Amino acid sequence: MTDPKSHSLIEDAQGLAFGATMAAFGITILTQLGMITGQTAGLAVLLSYATGIPFGPVFFAINIPFYWFGYRRMGLPFTIKTFLAVAALSTLSALMPSWVQFATLNPAFGAILFGFISGAALLAIFRHGASLGGIGILALYLQDRTGFRAGHTQLIFDAALFATALTFLPWETVAWSFLGAAVVNLVIAINHRRDRYIAT
Amino acid sequence: MTLHMTDPRRHSLLEDVQGIAFGIVMAALGIHILTHMGFATGQTTGLAVLIAYTGNLPFSLVYFAINLPFLALGWWYLGHRFALKTLITTAALSILTDILPRWMTLGPMEPAFAAILFGILFGIAALAVVRHGGSFGGFSIPALILQEKLKIPAGYVQLAVDIIIFSAATLILDPATLLWSFLGAATYSLFLAINHRRDRYIAA
Repeated sequence: MTDPKSHSLIEDAQGLAFGATMAAFGITILTQLGMITGQTAGLAVLLSYATGIPFGPVFFAINIPFYWFGYRRMGLPFTIKTFLAVAALSTLSALMPSWVQFATLNPAFGAILFGFISGAALLAIFRHGASLGGIGILALYLQDRTGFRAGHTQLIFDAALFATALTFLPWETVAWSFLGAAVVNLVIAINHRRDRYIAT
Repeated sequence: MTLHMTDPRRHSLLEDVQGIAFGIVMAALGIHILTHMGFATGQTTGLAVLIAYTGNLPFSLVYFAINLPFLALGWWYLGHRFALKTLITTAALSILTDILPRWMTLGPMEPAFAAILFGILFGIAALAVVRHGGSFGGFSIPALILQEKLKIPAGYVQLAVDIIIFSAATLILDPATLLWSFLGAATYSLFLAINHRRDRYIAA
């Protein structure tokens, strides 16, 4: 039994591996349905649909400018762990379509499943001292320093992304995407509590 | 939208409901992957899939039926509140595993990936349900009773159950499927062993 207050390296490694795998599975569900989401991943999905470039490379590239900000505000261990999680998600999301295929997937169920899976992925990544990209870094920074909930920052960014998505995706797809993003945000808003999960 | 910051030590009813609902959906998805691949696993789910495979019966029905005697044990020894909560969780999981194929059907899947994905989905399901004071019931009920009454550690009872179930699985599964099943069960056990810490997740 290790120190309850602090994660060992192996504990962080398994938490981040869990988070990256679940997040990549979430992206596989999302892109199968042609849906979008919020946050940095949402921006990457939107750009991926618009340009035809796969999600993995786009997501990896978008995140590059945020590492400096992450390093200055959150420190080196956070930045390294975030870089590794982003790299793992980018790689796994590129590989996963050859590991799992869906014959059928209902949009409403897919959206809720995406929300639960991505929510759990982000919770694990936050609890193990990392983030899944730029907007997450900003949201966590604001929550830890000002008390402004991470879920709220993400909601504001999501609104801008969804408004853009409405200009070139069918409104039904955007509506189901909204359901999925709402579930992600609810899972984070209810469960991301440093006063309950006390290890860092 | 404003969510009140509730007491860090105690979950509200809504928090427990969302945590257990999350666990049920993740467990149902895990079972869907497990049965899609024809894998075995341990505990109550493991016994239910073996019976479902050999008897060509629907998993949901077998799983629910197996749970009934354990729920009766729980009712007598662990309290009515616990038994009723577990009954609701078990019934919801049985129903969801039955309905899920209408909403999602899987195509070809890489066995190693399916095993690991099953392991982490089942792991996160168990973690969420346990942290929110729920239970998937099954063999964990006699294991808990034996621990309380006879001081036999619950982990040993569950290990013995897994050994018996996997021994039975060797009779009906081919070696490759058995190996992938081990990988899935090991991932699940390792995930829980590392992450189930009441000293870290302090709410009850």
